[in-house]
Amino acid sequence: MSKGKPVRRRFDESTTTADLRKYMAPFADRLGYKFNTDDEFVEEVLASEIEILDATGDVFCPCRVRTGDPKEDAKIVCPCIPFYRDQFAGLKKCWCGLFILKEVEDGLELLGVIEEPTGDIDVPVFRVADLPDGQIRHVKVGKHDIAVARVGDEFFALSNVCRHAFAPLAEGFMDGYYVMCPWHGWRYDVRDGSTDHPGANVKTHDITVVADEVRVRISLGR
Amino acid sequence: MSVMLYALSTCPYCRMTRKYLEENDVDFDLLEVDLLEGDERTAAIAKVKEISGGSSFPVIVIDDETIVGFNKKRIKELLGL
Repeated sequence: MSKGKPVRRRFDESTTTADLRKYMAPFADRLGYKFNTDDEFVEEVLASEIEILDATGDVFCPCRVRTGDPKEDAKIVCPCIPFYRDQFAGLKKCWCGLFILKEVEDGLELLGVIEEPTGDIDVPVFRVADLPDGQIRHVKVGKHDIAVARVGDEFFALSNVCRHAFAPLAEGFMDGYYVMCPWHGWRYDVRDGSTDHPGANVKTHDITVVADEVRVRISLGR
Repeated sequence: MSVMLYALSTCPYCRMTRKYLEENDVDFDLLEVDLLEGDERTAAIAKVKEISGGSSFPVIVIDDETIVGFNKKRIKELLGL
């Protein structure tokens, strides 16, 4: 395997806005978003992205600036939703407004008004079908590393970080309502983050299921 | 009153903001950061980060107040339109 520069090729020179729509829509869908309902606006933003693609080789966000650092710039390749899930869920749209939460009916109304969201935000992380019964999965929501577990039709969200040696709990083993840490077998109750090791409970997050989407509650700006 | 608009040539909200300022006969300075090169670009990105805390556009500075994004209501208030 070769190390080095990231492979940038995704779209060739003949790429059209229709190609971008086709490519991006299913991915955005999995993240809980759809294209803005205002078609003219979508065309305008995607046309800007095509210009950026021609100039740079990738579809960077037209509303954010490239720094030249590949690691930083990877976070502004459209759709950039995974990197700003918490903020965007609060805004109900991505920064540009190209993508809006699926339940938003009038995407035009959201354009332009950008105020930092605060308070409790339910952030879509994946669809119900993406996590089979008895499994646990890591999601990054803003600065939070969260493990989402499924037991039957119930979903639970807890900190992904074991308090013993900071192992990733999402790599652990589910046993009913318990997850066993992958490194040393500490057991956490996924319902309340409790463990029988004193003072070692982990934080939990409220979780809701809206239509077929799993949403994790995050508190912003407090 | 000084009005400075940091923008990207590719950004729809930057265009909206510019249009809004022009329509209201507001005298403003414009810096299109993505059209800069080399040190000038690096310096402009650093400046925007310093005043807005990020790298999202547009950034409008009205006297010593900073607005990130096309927030018509706040622009209106600060300009007394």
